[in-house]
Amino acid sequence: MLWVDKYRPKTLDHALVHEDVAQNLKKLVTEQDCPHLLFYGPSGSGKKTLIMALIRQMFGASAEKVKVENRTWKVDAGSRTIDLELTTLSSTNHVELNPSDAGFQDRYIVQEIIKEMAKNRPIDTKGRKGYKVLVLNEVDKLSREAQNSLRRTMEKYSAYCRLILCCNSSSKVSEAIRSRCLNVRINAPSEEQIVKVLEFIGKKEGLHIPSGFAARLAEKSNRSLRRAILSFETCRVQQYPFTSNQTIPPMDWEEYISEIASDIMKEQSPKRLYQVRLKIYELLVNCIPPEIILKRLLYELLRKLDAELKHEVCHWAAYYEHRMRLGQKAIFHIEAFVAKFMSIYKSFLIATFG
Amino acid sequence: MDMDFDLLPDELELLEESYRINEEYSHFDPTTEPYPYEEEEEDEHLQQQQQQQQQSTSKAKSPFPEAQINDHKRTRPSDGPDASAEGVFRPSDEKRSRIDEDIVLDEDEGLLRYLPPEVTEPIVEEIVENVEEEKVLWRFASEIDGDFIPITAPSGGDRVYAKVTTEEMNERREKLYLKTPSAGLIGESIDVLLHKVEQEAFTKSLRASSGSQSEMVLSETPVVHEQLWVDKYAPFSFTELLSDEHTNREVLLWLKQWDSCVYGSEVRSTSTEVLSALRRHSSVGQHHKFSGSNSSRNNKGSRWNKENFKQSDDSENKNANSVAAQDLWNKKTRCTGPPEQKILLLCGPPGLGKTTLAHVAARHCGYRVVEINASDDRSSATIEAKIIDVVQTNSVTVDTRPKCLVIDEIDGALGDGKGAVEVILKMVSADKKSDGGKENVANEDNAQKTSSKKGRKSEPLSRPVICICNDLYAPALRPLRQVAKVHVFVQPTVSRVVSRLKYICNKEGMKTSSIGLTALADYTECDIRSCLNTLQFLHKKKESLNVLEVGSQVVGRKDMSKSVFDIWKEVFQKRKPKRERRSNNSSQTNFNEFDSLHSLISSRGDYDLIMDGIHENILQLHYHDPVMQKTVKCFDNLGVSDYMHQYIMRTQQMSLYAYQPAIAITIHRMVAQIQKPNIEWPKSNQRCRTMVIEKRDTLSSWFHTIPPHISRHLSPTSFVEESVSLLLHILSPSTLRPAALNSLSEKEKADLDQLVGKMVSYSLTYKNVKSNPLPSDLGNGATSDVTVLAFDPPIADFINFKGYKSGHYVLALAMKQVMVNEVEKQKILQVSTRRFASLTNGGNEGNQVLLGEETSRSQPDKAAKIFGKTSRPSNPSISTTSCNSDSSRSGTTASVNLKSAKPPKRSSTSFFDRFKRIGTGSQNSENVVPKEETAERDLRPLLFKFNEGFTNAVKRPVRIREFLL
Repeated sequence: MLWVDKYRPKTLDHALVHEDVAQNLKKLVTEQDCPHLLFYGPSGSGKKTLIMALIRQMFGASAEKVKVENRTWKVDAGSRTIDLELTTLSSTNHVELNPSDAGFQDRYIVQEIIKEMAKNRPIDTKGRKGYKVLVLNEVDKLSREAQNSLRRTMEKYSAYCRLILCCNSSSKVSEAIRSRCLNVRINAPSEEQIVKVLEFIGKKEGLHIPSGFAARLAEKSNRSLRRAILSFETCRVQQYPFTSNQTIPPMDWEEYISEIASDIMKEQSPKRLYQVRLKIYELLVNCIPPEIILKRLLYELLRKLDAELKHEVCHWAAYYEHRMRLGQKAIFHIEAFVAKFMSIYKSFLIATFG
Repeated sequence: MDMDFDLLPDELELLEESYRINEEYSHFDPTTEPYPYEEEEEDEHLQQQQQQQQQSTSKAKSPFPEAQINDHKRTRPSDGPDASAEGVFRPSDEKRSRIDEDIVLDEDEGLLRYLPPEVTEPIVEEIVENVEEEKVLWRFASEIDGDFIPITAPSGGDRVYAKVTTEEMNERREKLYLKTPSAGLIGESIDVLLHKVEQEAFTKSLRASSGSQSEMVLSETPVVHEQLWVDKYAPFSFTELLSDEHTNREVLLWLKQWDSCVYGSEVRSTSTEVLSALRRHSSVGQHHKFSGSNSSRNNKGSRWNKENFKQSDDSENKNANSVAAQDLWNKKTRCTGPPEQKILLLCGPPGLGKTTLAHVAARHCGYRVVEINASDDRSSATIEAKIIDVVQTNSVTVDTRPKCLVIDEIDGALGDGKGAVEVILKMVSADKKSDGGKENVANEDNAQKTSSKKGRKSEPLSRPVICICNDLYAPALRPLRQVAKVHVFVQPTVSRVVSRLKYICNKEGMKTSSIGLTALADYTECDIRSCLNTLQFLHKKKESLNVLEVGSQVVGRKDMSKSVFDIWKEVFQKRKPKRERRSNNSSQTNFNEFDSLHSLISSRGDYDLIMDGIHENILQLHYHDPVMQKTVKCFDNLGVSDYMHQYIMRTQQMSLYAYQPAIAITIHRMVAQIQKPNIEWPKSNQRCRTMVIEKRDTLSSWFHTIPPHISRHLSPTSFVEESVSLLLHILSPSTLRPAALNSLSEKEKADLDQLVGKMVSYSLTYKNVKSNPLPSDLGNGATSDVTVLAFDPPIADFINFKGYKSGHYVLALAMKQVMVNEVEKQKILQVSTRRFASLTNGGNEGNQVLLGEETSRSQPDKAAKIFGKTSRPSNPSISTTSCNSDSSRSGTTASVNLKSAKPPKRSSTSFFDRFKRIGTGSQNSENVVPKEETAERDLRPLLFKFNEGFTNAVKRPVRIREFLL
């Protein structure tokens, strides 16, 4: 098992980061009732870990026995019936699913499964009617229709089931849903917290960590705990007695983007733009989200840029990212940004050096 | 008759003008008197030649010496007047070639005149008929002695009487009929041809008369049942075609390649003749008359060729060409059987004469055309029936020509048209399959027999099929495009169209100026049909064509949707400056351009695709853009279009689509260049989309195989973003030494175990994959076929960017193999332990109960059916049943369940002792309670079953994991 999975806290008490949140959640649950929850925060901050610990807190160890199901639903949507297939993880007390996998028909999934859960209500140990928990991942990718349909079902079936929503950015979740949930913000762990976690793991593994090494790992990790632990393990695998100036392996796509950035800095012409396009396609093909490409590209460009231009470039990056989210073909907008940058940079070069 | 003479020069004028387009004859006077005759005679002569050719070929088989006829032809002219003519007419520089033609024609005439009467008499007769029209047509029937036919002019209602000279015709017909027992070469039999010639002569004269009449008559009595000009002046022969010469020739060549298959072995003899026709046609652009006669002369002998060589340098060129063509031709004909591509796909905008070309060419090659167009039922069953009908030609009807299938408007109907395409494809593929097995059968009958034997299913295509479409890129045609020979029609030059239009106008007595016609042709984009219809319409209204108001006056521009490629071209390419010059000011031009582009794009629709194409190709253009401002603007516009598209899709406000063309026009204004853009179909966006979906699928299906406590924390994006590189690093540690397992140190073993554990927990393994050679190691091409062990869910692909070398350490091959084994082992162990765990946890008690049940059921004593372990000791026969098969089975299951780590040491040594003891125990003391026995059995890990008298007397169940441990 990877360390990421091995040292994942199983209970709320064992949480290493976000202890305060964990304690609050624990209090919430021990009072036997729990509102709908919306967890949001960047990836690698520990949302899922907290959610799983929370569920364990609610239902005890039985929540850990999950079975993977690939289910098909027959949904009667007015004139036709739709067959939907989706994989769910379910225990006796909770169901996890990723509704955005169903694409634009996600709304049927959400409704269908909530209704089904309402039908067979579990009875808890004390003979009272309990509730089930439905964990919905990537709510920000839910379509608007699904979010709207969720709105009513959340209220209607609130006696039978609780929803735990999980997403990266709450801005893509509609106001209506946000107001029906208790919003829990899980921010990215600070570098000190990451260092703490790394040292904890090191102790458990019996490793000696030279001073400063953990800090470097934390710094390189972009404040993502998952990434920090993974790179820690990578370093361990590559070279054991650690040295404090040991190379920390970079992410390949980031390297590739920095290549693109230096391409852009070297030459500004439509021809070069075409080469850049091909490279960006390469990244997109490998499932790297366009927003992240744009963000990273901006980061790489800014590193090499004259301070004078930074502000303008940032402005345009934001402008094109906005458009990208409105539109559909990400490549158009990324390229538009690159073109804009080239134009700005070239005119700057001409102005300064003649 | 003077009218006739008036008419013929007109016809010539047309032809000549079309020549003039290509070849700049500075001076050309068509109104010389003898010329029209020559022209006509040449046709006649050609036909006659064909006949003779045919005769000679047919003769070749008969013992009758063919030399007689040929000798006539060869020797006669040489001492005829042409020799002297040659000497007399020495051409001046400028008109040399033309006069050459005259000479040649003179020779031909001479030849005709000097031929022995028994052979050529009828033809001379015909010529005489043509020349002296008075003998054929009379105003009054009383003037004719003998047979006559009354003829009414279609337009004027005039009535004339024609004398019928049957005797001579009959005589000739019989002669020819005798000489040509098998009319193999020309599709039509000779009498049909003759009939046609006759008919043509009549119609010509009639047309002439009616033409002159109509001028007077038309004013008071407008014609009611006028034929459409389009049909009336549809080209009848190959030379009359207006479409692009190259295309015409290619089509004809393709059709001719079928000859060997359709007509059998006679292909060789026709080839030269067809070649001559071809060459004659091909050279129409340059030296129509000259080379036409020249190549016909080719048949007769090389001597003439040589003379021609001497005569002019021009002709040398020509002949060299033709020789090359002949070589090519011979090469092509040498390989018998149908052409490589069995289907011809003609495509092009409407009104350029695709259908006409198909018909004319097929007829020219002697086929009977069977047409299926959009109005017919085009379900696949009907089509198939039709094609089979076409394939099996020898019908009982009079028309014995082989059939040629023309499927018109194949792109039209989507649902039904697809049926047609499918059937054709099926036939083609059936053909390809059968090609390997079956010899190319030259004999037609043979081929038919085999094909009919084969039945309907795999009917090969043995007749030419011509498909006609407007949009080559229609989705229904995609499969057809790959197997068919595709010819794209291009617009004929405006001047050619105009000359033809002028000719028709003159014939119809309509006054037009060539400027007006040019404008019209321009406006309709050389759509001949539309031009003619417009002209006829105007003619009916008795209006003249107004140059300036072509747009408003005429019925209007046709709403033509062009292919996407054309649109991209329009967007990227500036119109020729010629156009700009014509219009008055620049703003006018801009407006026109805007308008035309707008209508073009909006009539096409499909903005998404158009924008994709623009995006794909825009960076390949060479526009001047020093600080990339144009590019930025273009991309901004593309972004707006994308945004708009998305908005429209979301809100379903389709009316907003009206603004999409404006974006393309903006881009056009920005980057359009004069030079021709090189446009590619926008694949990359589509490709990217499908690849992303594919990769996401791989990832998610992989995640499903990972145990949920790990997989629930993974999502495709976060995995690719944060984990994959590091995971790869972790999974291929450089510290792991490639060595045999037993030679590893303790620490290394521990590392290896950990690694295997990681791989198993992520359900990864190595798998043999065909390595596709990366661009980096293209140098050693020998390794291309070597299989390589790679991660099974191909996660390494996610960091495999083009032109990027990752610094990942890859395990040695030996190590990988070790890993594969270890992982497999670990997996099996895990599965079995898991099952074991579930059994021991959940069902231990239940198992015990089950065990007890089974043993008790096996007993004869039903009454003593007691459950549970506790009851069993009281059972007296338990010891006997341990030898029983039933109980031993349950015993083995029990042994599995109760399997302890203790190895079955004792079993081998005390094997027989044990059984003996049990056996004796059971035999001797039935009522002894074998409490210890059962206890002992429960303790022991294994039980044995003794099958008396069998070689496999002892069975012992063994689990795989026992070997692994």
